[in-house]
Amino acid sequence: MSWPPMLMHIRIKNKDTKFGLWLPLFLLFPIALVIFIILSPFILIGVIVLWNSGWGRMALFALRAAFVACWSLRGLKVDVRKPDEFVSISII
Amino acid sequence: MSDNKRKILEMLENGKISGDEAYRLISAIDGGETGQKDSARESQSTSDTAVKGKAKYLRVTVLPGDKHTDPEHADRVNVRVPMSLIRAGIKLTSLIPQEALDKANSALKEKGINFDVRSIKAEDIEELIDALGDMQVDVETAKGDCVKVFVE
Repeated sequence: MSWPPMLMHIRIKNKDTKFGLWLPLFLLFPIALVIFIILSPFILIGVIVLWNSGWGRMALFALRAAFVACWSLRGLKVDVRKPDEFVSISII
Repeated sequence: MSDNKRKILEMLENGKISGDEAYRLISAIDGGETGQKDSARESQSTSDTAVKGKAKYLRVTVLPGDKHTDPEHADRVNVRVPMSLIRAGIKLTSLIPQEALDKANSALKEKGINFDVRSIKAEDIEELIDALGDMQVDVETAKGDCVKVFVE
């Protein structure tokens, strides 16, 4: 079973700034869920209205694909280093 | 003479196998333990391939190689992308409008590539991603940077 991303660690360093952030994604899930529940009637109406044109099905597919993409972010790591600066993003 | 050896010799006599193949088969039978070890090794390598087939991450690394002129001041890149994210991303490509695909087709044609991007199906993509397990790209630049793209 794959788990959703729980934490995001961002580190940026250059000549002027040094910045590090641990973002607890697991705390954002309940907020995202609440937003989704609030918006779901509007999404449903939009899908029904657009169903005949074919865009409704596309919207549902896009929604599902976006959800799967967010769920699959766990393990992503981007680390770019130069002698004086670096950017590091890792999703745990 | 065992039945197996007799069968091999019969196959050689009938021209179904070459002399070299017959020799190898008889050696394998005579090998006994050696043969068993070989098969164990073979099954090990098969399981390794199976493990390798279940690729989890696509890695891209840029590191200073041995021949780099100034390794202390070299740029370093380390990117790890989950394969599940790549799968999800590829599925999102089906949302690309028809007009954009037509443009992509014509751009490819201009470059001399006669390929219809609309012909790519989800099954093909799955097969392609599974095949990525054996992929490895190693490039060494003139500056001495070592670029590697592989799957782990």
